[in-house]
Amino acid sequence: MRLHIADYLIIFIYFVFVIAVGFIIKRRIKSSNDFLNSNRSIPLWITSLAFISANLGAQEVLGMVASGAKYGIMTVHFYWVGAIFAMIFLGVFMMPFYYGSKARSVPEYLKLRFDEKTRGLNAITFAAMTVFSSGISLFALAKLLEVILQWDFDLCIWLAAGIVMVYTFLGGLTSAVYNEVLQFFLIVLGLSPLVIVALQDAGGWEAIKAGLEPQYTHAWKYMGTAEENSMGINFISLIFGLGFVMSFGYWCTDFLVVQRAMIAKNMSAAQRTPVIAAIPKLLMPLIVVLPGVIAIALTKTAQGDDAYRIPMAASGGYDYTMTLPSLISHYYPSGLLGVGITALIASFMSGMAGNVTAFNSVFTYDIYQAYFFKNKSDRHYLLVGKWVTLFGILFSIATAYIAASFNNINDFLQLVFSFVNGPLFATFMLGMFWKRTTSDGAFWGLLGGTIAAAITHGLTIAEGKGGWIAPVYPISSGMGQAFIVASFSWLANFLITIVVSLLTKPKADEELKGLVYSLTEKVYATEKKWYLRVAPLSIILLIITILLNFLFF
Amino acid sequence: MLEKFNQLSFVIGFFFTLVALVLLIGYFLTTALAEKINLYTGVCLLVFGLVMINLKSEE
Repeated sequence: MRLHIADYLIIFIYFVFVIAVGFIIKRRIKSSNDFLNSNRSIPLWITSLAFISANLGAQEVLGMVASGAKYGIMTVHFYWVGAIFAMIFLGVFMMPFYYGSKARSVPEYLKLRFDEKTRGLNAITFAAMTVFSSGISLFALAKLLEVILQWDFDLCIWLAAGIVMVYTFLGGLTSAVYNEVLQFFLIVLGLSPLVIVALQDAGGWEAIKAGLEPQYTHAWKYMGTAEENSMGINFISLIFGLGFVMSFGYWCTDFLVVQRAMIAKNMSAAQRTPVIAAIPKLLMPLIVVLPGVIAIALTKTAQGDDAYRIPMAASGGYDYTMTLPSLISHYYPSGLLGVGITALIASFMSGMAGNVTAFNSVFTYDIYQAYFFKNKSDRHYLLVGKWVTLFGILFSIATAYIAASFNNINDFLQLVFSFVNGPLFATFMLGMFWKRTTSDGAFWGLLGGTIAAAITHGLTIAEGKGGWIAPVYPISSGMGQAFIVASFSWLANFLITIVVSLLTKPKADEELKGLVYSLTEKVYATEKKWYLRVAPLSIILLIITILLNFLFF
Repeated sequence: MLEKFNQLSFVIGFFFTLVALVLLIGYFLTTALAEKINLYTGVCLLVFGLVMINLKSEE
């Protein structure tokens, strides 16, 4: 793939704009709260788009297109089962506690609800996860640009990291959030023409359905048993593993996304942030799943040398990860190619900046301030926040080089993340909705859930991974294995938390006001117009989501 | 004019207007960019950019 001067110009304009946003926001940064928390002053439309964009990183964009090609329309489960319901639950039921408790981060909520050791465990694992994720994002960007454009790997690493560093160092969270909105529009508008031209080339949706096996174009029909579909899971594992444990664990407890709602101007806006974000999320399969389905349809019906085909991997079989870059390369001429490449770069940078800003908030508030220097001036914490940003970026660069040296480091880290994230929702669910949950119950439940995840992984084997204790239970896909590991870890956390809580002394009711559902005064919507209220919006979204599932049954 | 850069919708609109202009000028001036898809995308991005520039968004 060779770029024209116009393509380079578009990439250059993008770089200038993201850095300029950093300089514009810098003038508004007066305190640590401005830098790390945006002073809770961001308008609803920005928090909503940033909420969705923080999840629109490279792994999401490239990964979902790849899954669309590999599994077909079943990939929409990650949206219509594994996202919308959890986002609505976050907005309606959980934001009142996150926002109302005035916690500055998710770990800080755990401190208020439980104790310091639960906060510490969550803060340390989260901080490590975000900085490693950021590094892996950086590695993937540099690798992709090296492969498709033959750009120098080191240059890509340092250039991308340098640009993210400039705008996050200057403007902190606000700068990252503002750029995420720009990146959201760039990804959507930059990839939309691709869907249109590729769909036209494939002869439309009816031609795609006619050319593919039925498993590729039905979301539910072949989920009755694990043997019927390529994901290797049945509908129960899907609904419980993805739709409940993994989905709620990510959308309702991961500070990276929850932080975007916590910086809204008021409680109403904070509650509506994930609900409004669910609207583009509902439609996102058009941009990131459909291209994959089109690609596999085109590949299977390809005739002649000029026809589009998914590239082959060196080991044989399709290289699904390269589906999106190969579609861009095939269909985009010079000019639009620059827009497409910039959209890819934007998705990587969005993911990286999101991780870095979440990392610096948690590190500064929940580790540095909580454990090392408690009563320093605000200016001190502002400077620490800035230095932590710098340190986070440098650590990401180091992780990117480690990932480049060890083939399995990405898989290993993703695995560790799933061990940590899987059980987390049980802690929050019990903590927010059962006042009897104790601090010891939460801590040991969280630890026990993580250990249960590791044991389940050690006893199951899928695509050659896992089974390191004994390969007792084979599973046909890695995705199915992830759902089962998450389900067992959640269940272990849930049960251990309940048992330990019943054996230990709970906090007094007075201490739990505003932190637990039954002890918190209910806030009723004050907005006069129905479409500004969270409940009617949520009901409409739920109905549309259910209808879409039926439409592609 | 410079004050407008404090508004995110203006910044986004300005960015897409510039990108649209690169595509449109390239379409009319160079053979490498003379593809219909560049023209259609350029027009769409230009309309989007101008709408965002003129949008009175809450900040």
